Amino acid sequence: MTTTIEELATPDVTPGPRSTPRPRRRKVASYSIFRVVMLTLVVLTFLAPLVWMVLASFKTNVDIYNPAAALVFTPTLGNYETVFGQANYLQYIFNSFWIGFASTVLSLVLGLPAAYSMSRFVMKKSAGLVLMARVIPGVSLLVPWYFIFSNLKLVGGYEVLILSHMFVALPLIVFIMMSFFDSLPVELEEQAQVDGLTPIGAFLRIALPLSVPGVATAGILSFIFSWNNFMFALVLSGSKTKTLPVAIFDFVAYASIDWGGLMAAAVVITVPIMVIALFTQKYIVSGLTAGATKG
Amino acid sequence: MKHHSVLKVAGLGAAIVVAAGVLTSCAASGAGDNEGKAEGSSTLRVTLANHVWTDIVKEKISDFEDESGLTVELTQLGEDQLSDQYNVKLNAGSDEIDVMMYRPLQEGKLFAENGYLADLTDRTADGGDWDFDDFQAGPVEATTYDDKVVGVPTITEQEVLYYRTDLLEAAGVEVPTTLDELEAAAKAVSEANPGVAGFVARTGKSAAVTQFSSYLFSFGGDFIDKDGNSAIDSPEARKAFEYYGGLLHNYGPENVSTDMSWPEAAAIFAQGNAAFYTDASSLYKNLTEAENSTVSDSVGFAPFPEGPEGSKPYNVPSWALGVNAASENQDNAWKFIQWATSPEMTLEIQQAGVPGARDSVWANEEGTASFPADLAKAVAIGSETGVGYDRPLVKSVAEAREIVGMPIVVAITGGDMDAAIAEAHEGFQKFLDGEK
Repeated sequence: MTTTIEELATPDVTPGPRSTPRPRRRKVASYSIFRVVMLTLVVLTFLAPLVWMVLASFKTNVDIYNPAAALVFTPTLGNYETVFGQANYLQYIFNSFWIGFASTVLSLVLGLPAAYSMSRFVMKKSAGLVLMARVIPGVSLLVPWYFIFSNLKLVGGYEVLILSHMFVALPLIVFIMMSFFDSLPVELEEQAQVDGLTPIGAFLRIALPLSVPGVATAGILSFIFSWNNFMFALVLSGSKTKTLPVAIFDFVAYASIDWGGLMAAAVVITVPIMVIALFTQKYIVSGLTAGATKG
Repeated sequence: MKHHSVLKVAGLGAAIVVAAGVLTSCAASGAGDNEGKAEGSSTLRVTLANHVWTDIVKEKISDFEDESGLTVELTQLGEDQLSDQYNVKLNAGSDEIDVMMYRPLQEGKLFAENGYLADLTDRTADGGDWDFDDFQAGPVEATTYDDKVVGVPTITEQEVLYYRTDLLEAAGVEVPTTLDELEAAAKAVSEANPGVAGFVARTGKSAAVTQFSSYLFSFGGDFIDKDGNSAIDSPEARKAFEYYGGLLHNYGPENVSTDMSWPEAAAIFAQGNAAFYTDASSLYKNLTEAENSTVSDSVGFAPFPEGPEGSKPYNVPSWALGVNAASENQDNAWKFIQWATSPEMTLEIQQAGVPGARDSVWANEEGTASFPADLAKAVAIGSETGVGYDRPLVKSVAEAREIVGMPIVVAITGGDMDAAIAEAHEGFQKFLDGEK
């Protein structure tokens, strides 16, 4: 999904020669042609695999491999029937959604106060420690995690998946929110305390409502990460708690691959997250750049 | 001061909650263990790979549950995911898997050496009517480690020659029975049909190794010699590299990619763009079913062509069932394996098109009726003359395949074979020394 984010961010990142005083007309024209060409190129590059995926999800396996049937073919809904009938994808969609939702909400509950305190009461070491969690590759933790969780008889349940996804979500939220809180003027909270609020009250009633855009960004990103996470779910989920990225591999069998079903499942996985990203892109972009330019 | 006390209280509270949680779970799991040890849990945890074999077994599991009074908890995964799971779970000493489906040649040696697989020697010997002697020798060899039986082969495969009946007929070419004839036929058909490749096969460094092995054996070569040293610089091996790569270089698809595995190679054949294709017998449905193939009506099958040393295709168990050594439910796990590999089940599964490992089923007409007649014949010949492995038998198979597969790719691209073989030989020898 990172591609989507980059893609969405592209228009905002374009530098602004507009700010150069009195540009010449010819320059403007050639610049806008250049801009259109480059944008088209980027968009096409990113869209091509998606378009291919959607088209392939309506094809039979023979047509998928046939270059002559790339655009002209007899569409079939068979692949989607497999996905929702035989393959029981509604269950997996629920699993992914529930795990993403719960891990995001819990990470927000824990991460917002943490980020706030790290921002307000200089706690560089804690911040560094949280950053460590982002630096350590998740795969190196899988074996110890599995060992601990299987001794606790938790493997295969939702709890362990939610916990493991929080491991990714929590540092992300803390880091986005730290820079967000840094950019809020302390004076507001000091004033609130003068008016009789406790420090916690000032956080809850003043700082939090002001940082809703940041919270939205952090929440959406952490949900996207959870939705796309494959590795943790592969080892820690059970047959009833399988998430979408793991379930998609059921279409790859030994000596036979159901490409059509695979592509239909990929569409089912991608569409919800793309819709969420499209509707919330302004938060994602503003949140990502929040604090980026502070001195 | 206020912050501090709040933080302290919160921290203490969290610590207490965590500690309490851990203690209660330990207590709970301890109780569970004792129960389990008494007479084996009535829930059997079975992990299987995505395969037609699994689909058939899955449908029948309720029969097993009725017979045995056990409840089967089935986990089903793709082969690579399954492998990852085993590596994590078995490494952690998990008892959460009782029956495990695994690839004897890819990971059997590693699993056996790490003690993941329970010793089944006594159980297979006392099989009675189940009759372990009925299993083909090659596959059984692959599921035996240090003279101990650690698995029961379920699915076998041999390398066969797929060809296009219509193209051969039109070009007036006989079905090749030797490798020399194959080369001549590939040449003739590709010249008669511009745009159609004479021959296609796997080209990926690692993927091609297994399919290249039959060529290697038929030329009289091997990956490792009797003393455990690299044998890939022998004159026979060199001929095999040059032959396999040469076929693809001269008569393969134009601008052939050098990272094709079976899905890509089979697709070229299935789209009608190649006349000959050598690969595993288990793939035939990708070529003979109309939903996968545009040439489904004109696919022919022949035994692997003879080389200087005769026709020596691999005949291997691609999958086997084993018992997790850490499982506390081994008696019941064995019951499941006996049920799933019984002569009746093997026959039924083979009738659905999955080649099994039992001689009696191959000797039975009912057992071969579902296969295209020529394919059944090719497989039967292959199982007689076949070699029991199709890749170097080492612990880190994936790494070994990367090394010995390199000269194949160089041969396909028409590069410097002297340098390639020397480099691969040296690398492989170093690798083997490291494993000793």
